[in-house]
Order: sequence, then structure tokens, then C-alpha cells
Amino acid sequence: MTPLLKVEDIHTYYGKSHILHGISLEVGRGEVVGLLGRNGVGKSTTLKAIAGLVHPSAGQIVFDGRPIAGLPAYRLARLGIAYVPEDRRIFPLLTITENLRTGLDRHGVGKARKQELLDKVYAYFPVLAERRNQAGGTLSGGEQQMLAIARAMMLEPQIILLDEPTEGLMPRMVSQIREIIEVLHQEGVAVLLVEQNVPLTLDASERVYLIEKGVVRHHAASAELRADDAVIHQYMGV
Amino acid sequence: MGLDAFFAAIPFDQLLIQTVNGIVTGMILALVASGLTLIFGIMDVVNFAHGELFMLGAYVGVLTLAATGNFWVALVCASLLIALLGAVIHLTTLRPLIGRDPLTTILATFGLSLVLQNYALWQFGPVARKIQEPFTGQFAFFYLQYPWYRLVIAGLAAAIIAALWLFLKFGTYGIWIRATTQDRVMAEAMGIPVPWVLTAVFAIGAGMAAASGVLFGPLVGVNHAMGLDWVLRAFIVVVVGGMGNLGGSILAAIFISLLEAYASLFVPPSQAVIVSFVVLILTLLFRPTGLFVPTPK
Repeated sequence: MTPLLKVEDIHTYYGKSHILHGISLEVGRGEVVGLLGRNGVGKSTTLKAIAGLVHPSAGQIVFDGRPIAGLPAYRLARLGIAYVPEDRRIFPLLTITENLRTGLDRHGVGKARKQELLDKVYAYFPVLAERRNQAGGTLSGGEQQMLAIARAMMLEPQIILLDEPTEGLMPRMVSQIREIIEVLHQEGVAVLLVEQNVPLTLDASERVYLIEKGVVRHHAASAELRADDAVIHQYMGV
Repeated sequence: MGLDAFFAAIPFDQLLIQTVNGIVTGMILALVASGLTLIFGIMDVVNFAHGELFMLGAYVGVLTLAATGNFWVALVCASLLIALLGAVIHLTTLRPLIGRDPLTTILATFGLSLVLQNYALWQFGPVARKIQEPFTGQFAFFYLQYPWYRLVIAGLAAAIIAALWLFLKFGTYGIWIRATTQDRVMAEAMGIPVPWVLTAVFAIGAGMAAASGVLFGPLVGVNHAMGLDWVLRAFIVVVVGGMGNLGGSILAAIFISLLEAYASLFVPPSQAVIVSFVVLILTLLFRPTGLFVPTPK
């Protein structure tokens, strides 16, 4: 079966510094895949390249059977690639409902379908429902993270790129994020998860890629790594 | 001389007349400035050609009025045509400069303003044209016969600004515009076609400038240099109101026009403009983020 997303040997530069030195990875339909590595090894840049926010200077990205490298980010969002950035990037002056509407108000989505999608995320995230007319900037860090994920779900994506969703969150929030990933998985949405939280990543994902200095150094099933954490020690230094 | 004597020197009726005058010019200024501040807010582009869009709008008004004889048709035609011109200008001149030094966009729009101004001079000549107001009724206002049309301008300008506000607040495209203003990259990641949103905003700003030009045409002559004066004051308003802040610009437009109107009770109107510059300099010195913006933490 062809994978939903196939990244082949991509290179990116930030100014003159070479960030990605030929990353290759695959995500199957509905699969949860982890991306682990120390700070600054290119995990976030990999997600940005897939989302079309950074354009690779070499290499291929194939999504759903078509090459997408070089397409503008808004086209990719509409093809079904949703991006949840590390710093959440909630629109601070838009209300929660308006934040959701940025992804919802697309051509070809009927009124009933829009309401259905809104009801669905408000059911998952009752906190957001209570504050739907409040400005996004007034939410706490954890609530902003939920809004960022809810907003991504409005695109009805085939894959969600999650960049360190648990960073800086309280343990209770972390387990809630874990549940949301499970819900996405149940719904058949693929997830590419970048994390520093190793136990959560191994628990949530089926496979894991370990990245060092802009290349994939190791690739294994999560179950394997749970049984033997020597590799994790080597690449994460924990 | 006490304060009482000072105020006694200004007749109350003159004060009221100047208040009305100030609000009327303030609303037109607000219309010009809100397009300018909308463009600045969303794309960080200081559009030096804004005054020329105002002037070309007035000329299109002159031409369509001559052809159709209907002021309102001229108003709509000028707004739409100049909005279209704005979209073309954005696509050809500003979009290629996205991501470059802001100085390049300043130079580009400045160059554009010279081109448009000289085009108008070449095409229409140096003699000012007149736009006939749609009605000439007047009412007794103290010792003056005050034209109704002036009040209608203020009302129409307010209506256009209110429509813009409602559109930004509730419309889908309004949400797109606000999202793009707040975080262009994330807006794009949410599937909002940012390059087209920017073009549309430039077109809307241009259309609003053109509408102001037609509305104000009957009060002054239409000539190739009429934009200069307005755009200068609109820039002052945008800075005093807080760059990119729509509400602040509207308040600042009325505030500055009222100050100028009151100042012209004491000095000739051509020198009353100095008041605006004083306000500008004081704002830049003491509240550089704008008078009507809460000081950021």
C-alpha cells in the first residue's frame, strides 16, 4: 500500500545554515508516527517543510500520491495537511469560534457540516465551548494548545502535524493531549508527532524516527524501543 | 486676561459651526485613513500612493458624472474602478516585493504616486475640475446657510466605515483578513489564501480612497495634486491613531480635524494645519504606539 505521506531526502537551508541534510520518512493512512531527537536537530523544520511553510531546496514530498514540495501552504491545508505549531500561534484577537472558523470557512463545506464539526470539537473540548466568545489570547497555555488542535481538526485533515503539543503543560493536560491523539487515531486521521516527551511518544505512536543533525539515524517500531531503551539513550541523551 | 475672557472672545455660534466642520472633514479623513491603516496593518506597507488613488477616484467621478449625469453612479463606478486598479497595482508592484526590505515598498509606492500624479496632469491638465454635488439644499445654521451635502458626506463616510467594520467583524472574508493581519504564516497554514487576501485588502483600501475623493470633490476642486494634502493628513492620523488600528484611526481623524477647525478660529486655516503636526510630534515623542492604543506591556 502506498503511504499517505512520503518524504524523500529533503534538504533545507535557513540562510546559509544547512538544517535538514536529507530527511526521509513515511506515514501511512491513519497511522501515528513519532519523531524524536534533541533540540535543534530539525524536527520542527521537517514539519514546516511538510506543511509548506519552508520550501526544501532538494528532495521530494509526496502526499496522497502527488508531489507537493513547492506548493503554497494554503493549498496544502486544503489538501488535508493540518499543522499545529510548537508555539500554538492562536490568533490572539479572534474569539475561539473565529479561530475555528479560519479553518472551517472553506468552499464546499455546507452549513450543516460546519455546525457538525463545531459541535464535535466543542464536545471534545468543553472548556472551549464555555469560552467560545472569548479572545484566543486570553486562554491559558493548555487551553491554547487544545484550541490549536481543535482549529487544525476544522480542516478535516488526513494528517495532523503536531509540534511538541505537551511542551510546558501540566501533567493533567499532558494526559488530555494523549487522549486527543487517541481520538484522532480512532477517527482515522494520521498524526506525525514531534516530541521531547519520550514515554508519551512511544505510547502514542506505532513507529518512531530518531533524528540527529538533520538526518534520520534510526527507525523502529515503538514497541521495540519500549522494550530496549538503549537507542533512545543514545539519541536523546536521557 | 482670565480664562473666561479668553472664551468670551470666541462666539458660541462660531464654535458650533467649527465643530460641525471638523466632524465633516474628520469623517472624510477617517475614510481615507482607514484604507491606509488597513493596508498597513495587514501587509506592513506604507502606501505612499494612497493620495493618488483618492485623486484618481475623484477624476473617475468627474468623468462618469459627465457621462451619466448621476452622482451616485459616479461614486460607485469610481470606487469599483479604483479598487480594480488597486488590485492590479498590488499584483504587479507590491506582491513581487513581499519579503524584501520595507524600504523597497516605500520607494515603489512613492514612485507609483509620482507616475499616477503626472499621468493625471498629462491626461486632465492643470485646471481644476468641479464635481457638481448631487443636491444643493441648504439650511440656516446661525448666520450661515449650511449646505446639507456636507452633512450627507459625513453620514455616508460613517456608513462606509460602519460597513467595513461589520464586514471585518462578521464576514468570512473579514475573519480571513483579521487572521492574516494577526499572524500571516498561521493564516496560510489554516488554508487562507494569504496572497489573495493581501490583494483584496489593497483593493478595498483603494476603493475607499476613491469613494472619499468623489465625496469630497464637490467641496474642493479636483486636480492632479489634491491627493498630497490629504495623504499627508491621513498619515498623521494613522500614526496618531496607532499604526494598523482601525478604531484608533477613526478617532484620531475626528480629533485632529476638530483641533484644526478650532485652531482656524484664531489663525488662518492654512496655518491651522500646524496643529496636526504638533499633535503628531507630541504623539511620536510621548506615545509612539498611538494615542488610542493601550500602551503595550
